[in-house]
Amino acid sequence: MFGYVRPYKSEMLVKEYEQYKAIYCELCRRLGKSYGILSRFALSYDCTFYALLALCVSRSQVRLDTGRCVMNPLKKCSYLPVKGEEYEKAAALCVILTYYKLKDDVEDGGRFSALRAKLLMALVSPKAKRAGKRYPFLEEIVGKAMEDQALAQKEKGGIDRCAHPTAQMLSELFRELPGCREGEDAALERFGYFLGRWIYLMDAADDLEEDLKTGSFNPFANRLGLSGKKELTAEERKRADEFCNEALNATMAQMLLPFRLISLENFAPLVENVIEKGLPEMQREILFLHVNLKKKKREEML
Amino acid sequence: MTDPYKVLGVSPSATDEEIKEAYRNLAKKYHPDQYSDSPLKDLADEKMKEINEAYDAITSQRREGSSQWGGGYQGSYNPVGASGSSGFQDVRSYIMAGRIADAEQILNGVPAERRNAEWYFLKGSVLYRRGWLEEAKDHFSRACQMDPGNGEYSAALNQAMNQGSGMYGGYRPHTNMNAGGCNACDMCSSLMCADCCCECMGGDLIPCC
Repeated sequence: MFGYVRPYKSEMLVKEYEQYKAIYCELCRRLGKSYGILSRFALSYDCTFYALLALCVSRSQVRLDTGRCVMNPLKKCSYLPVKGEEYEKAAALCVILTYYKLKDDVEDGGRFSALRAKLLMALVSPKAKRAGKRYPFLEEIVGKAMEDQALAQKEKGGIDRCAHPTAQMLSELFRELPGCREGEDAALERFGYFLGRWIYLMDAADDLEEDLKTGSFNPFANRLGLSGKKELTAEERKRADEFCNEALNATMAQMLLPFRLISLENFAPLVENVIEKGLPEMQREILFLHVNLKKKKREEML
Repeated sequence: MTDPYKVLGVSPSATDEEIKEAYRNLAKKYHPDQYSDSPLKDLADEKMKEINEAYDAITSQRREGSSQWGGGYQGSYNPVGASGSSGFQDVRSYIMAGRIADAEQILNGVPAERRNAEWYFLKGSVLYRRGWLEEAKDHFSRACQMDPGNGEYSAALNQAMNQGSGMYGGYRPHTNMNAGGCNACDMCSSLMCADCCCECMGGDLIPCC
């Protein structure tokens, strides 16, 4: 997962923002406790969302703690600990996903990124092993999805085929969230499918330009007949952005239906903010404001 | 039974108007038409029933048994229906029963020369239910090309296209998401600009400045 599932801050109440941050900080703290200080760098917005959803679905009792930030001892932080295993599972998921991301980089990244990934792998793989031992089903779900992803790329599958592994992964992860109300597991499963699909498509749309430059596989490039091109004209770029946005919107429309059927007790406004406002905002930033592209260009200039 | 006020998400002191508003919003949210071709139809129906019951309970509590527009929304519209002259009656009934894998198996067994507009429409419906939205759209448009006059096929294509436009969630590039485009400040500054332009040319729009 790639960090596209974030809250839209400007539309949040301060109270909600503080809750979100407290969940983020608590997850960071658990990561450090269970997998060592360095594993805190594996923390991501996506795994925070997983923890948030798990907290909502299980209706666990939470309490607010304050303490010092582990990364910056001068800063005060709030934490939202619970008795259940929500954070532990999210932390394990973080570590496992990071491991597979690095593995992917080693296999088909450039020379430097492969080297860097190899070094980091040495640090991460014992942690991933520990996480996998604690939660074998997480390891199994993620591993299976990565295998299927590689297969889909080898087949040079269409957009739907390529998005399927990530979609399936999230649908399986969400289905097994404990404590959901009767009958709602089907809604969670389907919600996960489309959220996973949205994440994959967003990532593919974001990487389109980069993939064309390096000649890597990209399902949107194939579909739009752009493969083989190195640079896009402004017109082609615009057409591609609009096409991607439409595919994402259609996915959003399907995601909202099951989403509305899930009872989210504790933090309903937070989850609604992420899904109903955060995701569309991400589409706007990446496809219409080209935030990441500009960032890359700046980095190249330096 | 759970507290009907809690179901509608209003406080017991809410006015009749507020309750009606909350009911309408929720009814829109769970309206069965939206879920007609989704495997979650039963769950949505149940939620809808819950809301209807809660609304009925509150209104009858308040008006002593005279529920105004109870019952709410009923019946639903399912895009894949039983068609009289269908060559794929079995596939249609599988889709309607939610047995997507069985429907797909039969469709895949149809040889290429027998794949007509209806085949593309039904295959698109199967893909759509599985969440393979892009290929579903391609199949629907193929069906429409082969049989342009068919209302069933064009309705399916329209629905798939509309969802891409952002009408049902997502981002719409041509609308401004943040506040209105023109406020009092914009008006004043535009007037000032217009005044400056007039003055350059020797005229005057706002005499006092």
